Amino acid sequence: MLGEFEYLLISAASGLGDQAYSGAIQREIAAATGRRCSIGALYTTIDRLESKGLVKTWMGEATAQRGGRAKRMVRVTAKGVQAAKSFYDAVTGISRGAQWAVKDAGGTS
Amino acid sequence: MRDAGWRAVELAAQLLDRCESEAVLGDLEEAGGSPWRNLLDISGLIVRQQALLWKSWRPWLASFGLALPASLMLMGFSLSVSLAYRHAGEIAMPLLAGRMVLLAAWSWTGGYAVAAMSKRTLWMSIVSCCLPCLFCLARFRVPSLPSACLLLFLPAAIWGVWQGSRLSGIKTRTAILLATAVTLLTLLFMGEGLPATTWMLIWPAWYLAATAESNTL
Repeated sequence: MLGEFEYLLISAASGLGDQAYSGAIQREIAAATGRRCSIGALYTTIDRLESKGLVKTWMGEATAQRGGRAKRMVRVTAKGVQAAKSFYDAVTGISRGAQWAVKDAGGTS
Repeated sequence: MRDAGWRAVELAAQLLDRCESEAVLGDLEEAGGSPWRNLLDISGLIVRQQALLWKSWRPWLASFGLALPASLMLMGFSLSVSLAYRHAGEIAMPLLAGRMVLLAAWSWTGGYAVAAMSKRTLWMSIVSCCLPCLFCLARFRVPSLPSACLLLFLPAAIWGVWQGSRLSGIKTRTAILLATAVTLLTLLFMGEGLPATTWMLIWPAWYLAATAESNTL
């Protein structure tokens, strides 16, 4: 099963679609969690996910904004989608009876 | 000030793979953080990557199972060869030449195996080899020989490391031939008076034979 940060990374990459690269994923995670994620954590997790076959990475185009340097593009594989879905199902399943989940459901209905 | 800081960041990024370094520097440039923050970020990545490498047995074996003990034994054999050369009249020339070839063979296979075993932690293997060398050089007290004779093994070892870090591997047949040749040379030329542990110097050659791939050069 995925770890929490692995799930965040796969979800961010999936949401960004064709625009998913390390820098954009880092910003997405920071925006969602309210915490800055370090380059070290990001890159080592991308490497780990790639070695497990959950994401695929390649070097993309360079932009002037990046000082003419290439981006490390990320795409979630079918295996990665399956792993993220399993994690999501487990979290939503286990949270069903939790106080905060019940409150949220009550508030929205 | 920013330029100096950014140069330090770029310098630190040299420790990463070329592609990774480019992507990381691009991300940092895009984020526009302070040089200090960027330096911390990149150092964190390097430390994490190194820590992950050390979870495997390979760096441990390369640094502390091979580079460290082999450098001590090779220094001992370098000294033995130097003394034999010094007293060339008392030892047959073919025997001396055989010992020199054996020293080169042990050193080359040792260096090659260290590099092939764990390329990305090569720096630690180099430190593990250099520390005993510096220690022995500082304590070298043989009046008839220069202290540099302890390091006779180094050129072949450096050549082995250089080749091991660049080539993808050795063909199985070549590696087995090499290991057999090193074993025969050891049987013929190691000589008496050396500790039995010196036999340990043949295992890098057999390691190369055991890990050789048939589709590599």
